[in-house]
Amino acid sequence: MANGNVLLPMSGVKVIDLTWHLAGPFATRLLADYGADVIKIERPKIGDPARNMPPFFQNDPGIERSGLFMFLNTNKKSVTLNLKKPKGIDILIELIRDADILIENFSPRVMDSLGLGYEFLKTINPKLVMTSISNFGSEGPYKDWKATELTTYAMGGAMINTGHPEKPPLYIGAHIPGFHVGTVASAATAISLLGADANGKGDHIDIGAFPVWMGAIDRRQSYLMSHQYTGDISSRPWPASALGTGIWQCTDGFFMTAVGAGLFPRMARMIGAEYLLEQDGWHDAAARSNPDRIDESIALIVPWMLERSKAEARDAAQKYGVYGGPVNNFEDLIEDPHFKERNFFSKLSHPETGEVNYPSFSFNLHLEDTDMPERTHAPLLGQHTSEILEEYLGIKEQELTNLYQQEVI
Amino acid sequence: MVSKNSSKLPLEGLRILDLTVVWAGPYATQIFGDWGAEVIRVESIKHFPSTTRGMVMRPTKKMVSQIGSLSAYPDRDPGDRPWNRVASFNAHARNKKSMTVDMTNEEGQEIFDELLRISDIVIENNVPVSMDRINVNWERVSKVNPNIVMLRMPGFGLDGPYADYRTFGSHMAGVVGHYSVMGYKDESPDMTGNTLTADAAGGAGAALALAAGVRYRRKNGKGIFIEIATAENFASYLGDGILDYTMNGHQQEPLGNRHIVYAPQGVYKCKGEDRWISLSITSNEQWERLCVLMECEDLALDKRFDSELARQKEHDFIDELIEKWSLQKDAQIAMHELQDSGIAAGVVMNEADAFADPHLESRGFWEQLEGVDTGSNLYTSTLWTTEELERSHKWGPPRLGEDNEYVYKELLGFTDNKYKEFENKGHIGMDYDI
Repeated sequence: MANGNVLLPMSGVKVIDLTWHLAGPFATRLLADYGADVIKIERPKIGDPARNMPPFFQNDPGIERSGLFMFLNTNKKSVTLNLKKPKGIDILIELIRDADILIENFSPRVMDSLGLGYEFLKTINPKLVMTSISNFGSEGPYKDWKATELTTYAMGGAMINTGHPEKPPLYIGAHIPGFHVGTVASAATAISLLGADANGKGDHIDIGAFPVWMGAIDRRQSYLMSHQYTGDISSRPWPASALGTGIWQCTDGFFMTAVGAGLFPRMARMIGAEYLLEQDGWHDAAARSNPDRIDESIALIVPWMLERSKAEARDAAQKYGVYGGPVNNFEDLIEDPHFKERNFFSKLSHPETGEVNYPSFSFNLHLEDTDMPERTHAPLLGQHTSEILEEYLGIKEQELTNLYQQEVI
Repeated sequence: MVSKNSSKLPLEGLRILDLTVVWAGPYATQIFGDWGAEVIRVESIKHFPSTTRGMVMRPTKKMVSQIGSLSAYPDRDPGDRPWNRVASFNAHARNKKSMTVDMTNEEGQEIFDELLRISDIVIENNVPVSMDRINVNWERVSKVNPNIVMLRMPGFGLDGPYADYRTFGSHMAGVVGHYSVMGYKDESPDMTGNTLTADAAGGAGAALALAAGVRYRRKNGKGIFIEIATAENFASYLGDGILDYTMNGHQQEPLGNRHIVYAPQGVYKCKGEDRWISLSITSNEQWERLCVLMECEDLALDKRFDSELARQKEHDFIDELIEKWSLQKDAQIAMHELQDSGIAAGVVMNEADAFADPHLESRGFWEQLEGVDTGSNLYTSTLWTTEELERSHKWGPPRLGEDNEYVYKELLGFTDNKYKEFENKGHIGMDYDI
């Protein structure tokens, strides 16, 4: 059955990575984590624009100092290639010829204008899986519209439910919209790769950030279904939108709970109010669904929480089976005994920063014959140009020098 | 238009035993089902999975009318079998099958073993203690079928002090620090609300993990055990902020709807109830075009606003200016005017916007499906499209136990008599028996 053992699930998969910024690089980073050889093509001298995006090491900008870039590009190899020169395109085509995967997140039509459309590429590599990531997808009336991460989060729909009902809808923070599109793109690519292997035929995947968010299960799909059932238009819920649900002040921060009428007895026991459950209006889930119960319960929960630390609330919640968790910052996260015990953070050395703690893998492989290999740091711009061109295309020293002089690489 | 060939979907021929609950796990199997895998939900009529098939098993009509719109029932009526009618389940369950077996006893576990032998993947996302109760773990599963891909995705992983902690995606986000970089400027965290993106992230990450696992199995001729802690998977989405802390000791602050570089950026009130337009100005040229659009051309070349840095300083003033304009506008019209001016802008879409959206429509984003207990509804299509494949959903969400005959009789070869016997023993049914 076996046709060539692999150490890791994506071992032996060759990825030509034309992505930049966020979503694309996160997609290829995930593939690289699980064994794929990712060759990151960058513009000579300038590189991926994410190299110039904050946060910078010691707040001091520089193309090898961006924490965002360093996080997104571990385990990859950087090759500089000038795609404005015909020779640059020729070299790229040679690299694609025996690649398994090509990923790009240019605006739609850029690949066609470079002469690298899928219609052409599949003639030189019929098994190629090509993944194109854009804001809206390559088809449809908005395909040429502009978007930032705020735009896709807003249009994607989850934003109308995010924040406080008396305030504007709230952005999800950080680069979460882009990162999530990257995860979906990596899953799409890996799924199509299975098809290409089994059927001997590649495919071209079209990922749009807007449809990805509209189809997300962070409430959105559920609200879309609910709307059809009732005609309701959703908005931002009140923090205490259900019984025992809220974001509560503790002695050292905030603690969140989500309980509801059905599971409320657990919370009643946690806060020493089990006597309630004997009373009219509290004895079963139907009675507890009366919205008046919410206000009455708040009067009991608030003082209980105010007397406890986040850690005490967490331990009590878990003891009684109350769904909840603390509102942490990154210091809390890194010092947290759970993530310490699981070795979730590991040190990675980079020439500019020295050793820095990075979050570990998105998922763990439990393999008998190997541990997860250690990551390599994000590549310096063009760090692997000579190595890759020689290894993959047999381009020798003299020719490499010429290519440098012609500003192709 | 080049006609698509109808070659096989990439996951056709793979059978998944699906023990997932709530959203994160089911999202992974939604994706796999969409792309051709046979997904069999393994459920039990002896156990009601709260929050998976409704908050409570039999909500009254009155309760249903008081439940928020997140997990509504058709026409606000729980019906005879409420568990088949709740939106939060039906939202993800298209293309899946449902069978029932009581795995709290040995007989049920033997049924599960028989299914393991003829399946390719098993996936679950429960707290480990729940799986111990029905004796599902890699040791046992791999003994029955060494060739299987097993994915376990408890919120905090299989070991460590929080292994058995019960949380939803919104809480995992809190634990990994999400709400330290999300929130209104100068407001405390109780105003922030929460997100359930950890579930969407976990589901998508799990889909990647499953595909990776299947490749490993094909290449090596043996199974693989993969663990995804939903909280850890989501922590990666905060990687840049975490690195700012680990390399600089700097905790980033929430920016509200603003951007660290681009200015202005925000969400502005439009005409009507809860209507909003988001916009981001990413260059000086766009700022000038925005000024033209808002009919305040004099500000376009005003020195106070001639760079991102300058506009960051005057952001409050600019916000007021924009909202004065947007308040007079219909949100959809504002979006088109801004996009026509080459500015990144979008309506904060609600459900009505989504179903009326011409872009989603033209991409075939909605698929109509019929359900015995739900009627005819629109379901989101796949998260992505591909050039070579023609596909559509096969059926709507399965009713509890809907595919018992298929699983017991066709797959496991049960006779009518044996099937009846298992009905009587509380394994097979379409109604909870608790």
